[in-house]
Amino acid sequence: MKRDLMDIICCPLDKHDLDLDVESEEDDEVVAGTLTCTDCGETYPIEDGIPNLLPPDMREETPA
Amino acid sequence: MKGQEWYQADEVAAEYEDKRFSGGGRLIDRREKEAVLDALGPLDGKRVLEVACGTGRFTVLCAQRGADITGMDISAAMLREGRAKARDVGVDDHLAFMRGDAARLPFPDDYFDAVFAMRFFHLADTPAKFLSEMARVSKADVFFDTFNRYSTRSLYNSLLPMGSRLYSTSEVHDLLRGAGLTLRSDAHDFVLPYGFYRKLPGWLADPIRDADVAVGDTPFGDHLASVSYWHAHV
Repeated sequence: MKRDLMDIICCPLDKHDLDLDVESEEDDEVVAGTLTCTDCGETYPIEDGIPNLLPPDMREETPA
Repeated sequence: MKGQEWYQADEVAAEYEDKRFSGGGRLIDRREKEAVLDALGPLDGKRVLEVACGTGRFTVLCAQRGADITGMDISAAMLREGRAKARDVGVDDHLAFMRGDAARLPFPDDYFDAVFAMRFFHLADTPAKFLSEMARVSKADVFFDTFNRYSTRSLYNSLLPMGSRLYSTSEVHDLLRGAGLTLRSDAHDFVLPYGFYRKLPGWLADPIRDADVAVGDTPFGDHLASVSYWHAHV
């Protein structure tokens, strides 16, 4: 994902802003990392460059 | 949600477009793309969200027309196909893919100029919830299609392993009202169901499609159509 996606996305549960934690980056793409809700603290993974904003209850049953 | 597991499989994702949109299926693809582009109007610089974008058939098309588009789907396998396609045609700088739940969209209110979902509502177990979320994040247009209850689709549906949710016109009107949306235009097409076209070789599909459109243009056409396109406004 591109960093400017941060302007658009929010926590799917409470719609608060997310903090980006980058683990690896290639060119200007975040390949791996986490997104953390600034309010509820829920974390969402960035996997293979694609942010996974599925709420936690759906993450388990729908593996990448 | 119907199809939730099915569409997660890499093999299904890789074959999805070839299976559905080759031969007679290309007529469906063409009609659907026309429906989306007509509803969304000029796309240059528009913020657009596609819900349940799958392999990005429409996402990539809209990006090519200049939209700043986000494609969301539940399936990573489908999104990977979409991303490869976006890179191939060089539109990945104004297109973003992500995984998400259509009932809990990860976007603030009124962010997008247009939000659309194709081939989604027939898989939806809670359509009212999904449509309300689409309306919440759009400040103008909402566009989607449905398969019709009183049509050849009902017959075809009984043959499908997964089945589909079918809608009557009044059900869609209720859903729109419930989501606070106003209908701007609707179109009804395909007297013969999609599955029928997919079975046809390309050379046979064209004349049959012509006949289908001719029947669709008669006064009874709308009532016979298996697919409806709904363009609403917030």
